[in-house]
Amino acid sequence: MEKLLDMTALICQGAVVTLEIFVITLLLSLPIGGLAALGRLSKFKPLSLLMEFYVWIMRGTPLMLQLLFVYFALPMVGIRLPDIAAALLAFVLNYAAYFAEIFRAGLQAIPRGQFEAAHVLGLPHWHTMKRIVFPQVLRIVLPPISNETINLIKDTSLIYILAMNDLLRVARTIVQREFDMTPFVIAGIFYLVMTAVLTWAFKKLEAYYGKYDA
Amino acid sequence: MANTMLELTNIHKSFGDNQVLRGIDLVVDKGEVLAVLGPSGSGKSTMLRCINHLETIDKGDIHIKGQALVEGGVYVNEKRQREVLAATGMVFQQFNLFPHMTVLENLIEAPIYVKGVARDEAIKTAENLLAKVGLSEVRDRYPARLSGGQQQRVAIARALAMKPDILLFDEPTSALDPELTGEVLKTMRELAAEHMTMVVVTHEMAFAREAASRVIFMAGGVIVEENEPKAFFNNPKEERTKAFLRNML
Ligand SMILES: Nc1ncnc2c1ncn2[C@@H]1O[C@H](COP(=O)(O)OP(=O)(O)O)[C@@H](O)[C@H]1O
Ligand SMILES: [Mg+2]
Repeated sequence: MEKLLDMTALICQGAVVTLEIFVITLLLSLPIGGLAALGRLSKFKPLSLLMEFYVWIMRGTPLMLQLLFVYFALPMVGIRLPDIAAALLAFVLNYAAYFAEIFRAGLQAIPRGQFEAAHVLGLPHWHTMKRIVFPQVLRIVLPPISNETINLIKDTSLIYILAMNDLLRVARTIVQREFDMTPFVIAGIFYLVMTAVLTWAFKKLEAYYGKYDA
Repeated sequence: MANTMLELTNIHKSFGDNQVLRGIDLVVDKGEVLAVLGPSGSGKSTMLRCINHLETIDKGDIHIKGQALVEGGVYVNEKRQREVLAATGMVFQQFNLFPHMTVLENLIEAPIYVKGVARDEAIKTAENLLAKVGLSEVRDRYPARLSGGQQQRVAIARALAMKPDILLFDEPTSALDPELTGEVLKTMRELAAEHMTMVVVTHEMAFAREAASRVIFMAGGVIVEENEPKAFFNNPKEERTKAFLRNML
């Protein structure tokens, strides 16, 4: 019993690292993804093409490769980042690209009539975006954002290869030392709890922002 | 001249190679209810949408209440456009209510943020307008919960909340089930009776005949014929008008 508590305490420390990566990635990649989506839809062609290229690279290559690239390849050209920053850079760039695609689809789903109605009422462009368009986009993007967010929780385990002591790596270390599978079970429960909490929170958000549906 | 609400002079508009408006001249006086008839594709919507700069014209002048929106195909600056277009309101075929806002919120958004009206006052005006279109009871509902006819009456109230001097309607009943057109037409007739200046693109011949003060018939991007309703319907002059009316009646 005491052993179990010790294990859980150690794994908790790992979970903190996992949550850190998760929260920071989410907080940075959502706004960056939003800006990238606006850039992608911009009438300024070079910006739009650049964003299309960025999304293409990030979605077309494995996150694992991107992590390794930031971690091992950048130092070779003299860019040296602390471990956690390197991991975060890769995660943020990757997830921002996925969020950008989600936001782009959401923005494009808003009917022209909404912009036209705002125009004939004299609402300025930025006000139209802020008060008319974005709230409706939010409603559309919440379900796919929820999916990606749950993926992110699980994807954080990829930093395992970067020798950072996240939830999964801590569990594996104990397993190897003690010849006991329990840490994997505990780690699994941690992931399940986190995804369950996220699922619940997004359900609440979707209900709140979907209250105007028929 | 002081009574001129809207003046279109030699308006030309193309989409690519498609010349949609080929020299439109039109004057609408204060208090007039102008019905715009014509076959599908004749440029009726485009003409209406040029008036409030939802489409950009290639050539011509538009004056609203004597103030230039565009002269010789050149638009006044954006700030000035806003001022000039504040006199106009529009009602769309598809209503285009803001679905994430309640009926009341739809009505007060622009008065508060565009005109700087105090919130209490905007709400009071909105409530009066809802009473006027017979929809006080749906004040706090979301548009998706309303019938098409109710949505369109809310859209009319929303346009009126900005106190426009001229209201543009683009086939306001065409998206409605036949049994719901009556309530919208009734609201429009009431506005007409109050001498609201209106330009109404419609296929509702009864409305044009009874509520309009003047009718124009468009075909192929030009105004083919124009007259007061009685003469227009009883005694059309142009062959194309006659053919159109034969099909409609
Ligand atoms: N945004 C647009 N882009 C290209 N063509 C358009 C556009 N809007 C209208 N048109 C064309 O202009 C013509 C007139 O259309 P419209 O003004 O909608 O006619 P109406 O309202 O009389 O049915 C049609 O041939 C239509 O295909
Ligand atoms: Mg039309």
